[in-house]
Amino acid sequence: MSEENEEKELKIYELGYLLPSRLAEEEVGREYGKLKELIANFGGEMVSDEIPKKISLAYTMQKVVANVRERFDTAYFGWIKFAMDPEKVLELKKNLSQNPQLIRFLIFKTVKENTIATKRFVRDTPYRKPFVPRKKEETTAPINKEEIDKEIEAMVATEPVTK
Amino acid sequence: MRQDFFSANNIKYIDYKDIEILSRFLNPSGKIQSRRKSGVTAGNQRTLAQAVKRARFLGLLPFVAK
Repeated sequence: MSEENEEKELKIYELGYLLPSRLAEEEVGREYGKLKELIANFGGEMVSDEIPKKISLAYTMQKVVANVRERFDTAYFGWIKFAMDPEKVLELKKNLSQNPQLIRFLIFKTVKENTIATKRFVRDTPYRKPFVPRKKEETTAPINKEEIDKEIEAMVATEPVTK
Repeated sequence: MRQDFFSANNIKYIDYKDIEILSRFLNPSGKIQSRRKSGVTAGNQRTLAQAVKRARFLGLLPFVAK
């Protein structure tokens, strides 16, 4: 029962972060472990996460650490989804902002379910109803066989004359 | 009438990490398409905009594409 009460207080958050690409693979792994530990220390429960992956940034970022401005074109991008007490999250945010290793990070509320859409059939063009011609009521008068026969006969008769 | 992309593909949550989907709704210079062009419902357009802005902050999408 106590678990249920706890869960009501907890909210789901996601932390997205960027680590500098100058770090070696093992160092990235270590930072990743540290972040998870940090969240656990603030009473967070892991929901899901992804190991940081190297990405090329869409634009150059800058960060000043100890009066040295550094520029970043590539970085390791990782994310962690966790459940935490809303008040603790503010403390976590403060703590993270003092972390010199992170280029940037972002914490926001999300949902427990997996938000990454699985690869599925994606229509390039929007769906449209197949065109079905409407059945028009026939407005032409019913065909009179005799009249047609007469007309044809007249045409046949007149043809040789014109030639 | 164009159908909403997200409800057509059964996407409930628009994730900022899913750049493939998000970039469908950007024009060549990286701006978010208007609802008129995207054909997305009002609610989804709001979450879409939120997701694009998050992706921009973390360098997944550009603020301005040259």
